[in-house]
Amino acid sequence: MRRYGGAVLLLLTGAAVLRITVFGELYLRYVQAGLRPYLIVSGGALVLLGLVSLATTALPGRRGRPDTPHGHPGAPDDHPGHHHGPAGPRVARLLTLPALALLLFPPPALGSYSADREAAQRAAQGVGTFPALPAGDPVTLTVGAYSSRAIYDSARSLKGRTVRLTGFVTHGDDGAWYVTRLLVTCCAADATTAKVEIRGVDAPPTDTWVTVTGTWRPKGTLGSDAAWPPLLAATTVTRVRQPADPYEKP
Amino acid sequence: MRRTVADGLRSTVRALVYAVLGGTALLAVATVVAVLGPVLALDLYTPAVAAWWTVFTAVAVQGVPFLLLGTVVSAAIGAFVPERVLRRLLPRSPALAVPVAGVAGAVLPGCECASVPVAGSLMRRGVAPAAALAFLLSAPAINPVVLVATSLAFPGRPEMVLARLLASLGTAVVMGWLWVRFGREKWLRIPGRDTPHTTGVRAFADGLQHDFLHAGGFLVLGAAAAATFNIAVPRSVLDVFTGSPWLAVPLLALLAVVLCVCSEADAFVAASLSAFPATARLAFMVVGPMVDLKLLALQAGTFGRAFAVRFASATWVVAVASSALVGWWLL
Repeated sequence: MRRYGGAVLLLLTGAAVLRITVFGELYLRYVQAGLRPYLIVSGGALVLLGLVSLATTALPGRRGRPDTPHGHPGAPDDHPGHHHGPAGPRVARLLTLPALALLLFPPPALGSYSADREAAQRAAQGVGTFPALPAGDPVTLTVGAYSSRAIYDSARSLKGRTVRLTGFVTHGDDGAWYVTRLLVTCCAADATTAKVEIRGVDAPPTDTWVTVTGTWRPKGTLGSDAAWPPLLAATTVTRVRQPADPYEKP
Repeated sequence: MRRTVADGLRSTVRALVYAVLGGTALLAVATVVAVLGPVLALDLYTPAVAAWWTVFTAVAVQGVPFLLLGTVVSAAIGAFVPERVLRRLLPRSPALAVPVAGVAGAVLPGCECASVPVAGSLMRRGVAPAAALAFLLSAPAINPVVLVATSLAFPGRPEMVLARLLASLGTAVVMGWLWVRFGREKWLRIPGRDTPHTTGVRAFADGLQHDFLHAGGFLVLGAAAAATFNIAVPRSVLDVFTGSPWLAVPLLALLAVVLCVCSEADAFVAASLSAFPATARLAFMVVGPMVDLKLLALQAGTFGRAFAVRFASATWVVAVASSALVGWWLL
């Protein structure tokens, strides 16, 4: 059995990657959408490599390496910390940890816990004009886009528009509550926070996903710290399901 | 004859006792786990633990395609590129080969996970370690994908891209030269796969499997470290240090080490650290692709711990100095 360890690890890793990309959209909890094709190719390649390795190990009569199937024909292992069992490097067994986690209990998307821990970041940009908002009433915006228009748009394009934002609920001190979204560039490790303070309606419980409709209420001078976090005077709050992609792109 | 019967009887009794004792113990353990397990699991599965798992799997998942790309290239070099080709491409003298290899880093479009196995394979094919190390440092920092990402993250500030290019290339070349001058062979464990003389498809498949599994294990180790720091160090702590550039530069350089943000994404994180001076953010982007916990684990696995610790700490110092210098000049 141990002879097949390397092949099993490759199959396990490949299967985990394919599970979250091909069979569902779980990968969006961990990495950005653009990585999907690369993940699918990698998962497929790993499964293929695992199968090839399994086949060459199982088939008898492989030339020249009867009992060391994975390319380690008993050469003296002269470097410390680099232990090779018959199934390949021992440290590789660690791969089972994320692989099994993804296959059996895929970890949830980051939520209010991570948002609370990080001081919400304002995207670094200067005050200036933005492209015109799309037509429609209400107009659907990302939390990040709403924030930057509210804080940096010298043309005040949000003025007089009804907007609709989707995010999860977080609570601040003194009863304020926010519609919050995490911004992920590459993977969940680089998540930053964008949030909009909601006025005028009662707060749902923390981590509930909601869609809020309302109008912009200006505050502070453009581009200053006082303008942050931006305000939204809400008219309706509806609970929604967590979107397939729980994060926004910055 | 009687003795063998007695022996047989004795071992049967012993086996029975073991079976009963072991069975009881197993049953007890199973009961306790079945009753307490779910309760305990729910208690332990706090938001912090859940976030740890998410970040941990995210870093590992994100690393897989890049690691595979790196191991494919490295296995291809090992299996299909004859040594003399590499020898002919690079200048004979290591001191000249270092800058050439550093600039050549621009052609590997990946992040840092990909460059470690490739550098290992270059050394295995007879490239001077100093040149391979310069390549290792520069590849994830100056390739086109990363530079384009940087220009997107800092719109209207092309000097940031130039500064990143210069400071990263400078660090890589200086580290290569430092290795030529001060490096000792005994620190570096040149990664020898145990089948150095085979070439062709079989060597490729074997090399691919070995390199991927080996580097993958260390990637998981690094992901665990990154997730731990990600959860343990709140970023709001940083706000304390935004004022002084003397503190901000080393602080963001340390942050780059513990956050382990992929080099294709770190420009966006740097851009979001808007309270810090530009030079500190440059240091974050220069150090990140060259020294971080995930890389340290990968390097320790590939080149040995003695090397990884020395090399990473020296690189950190050189990278901070180089970004301070370039930042002072350009930003």
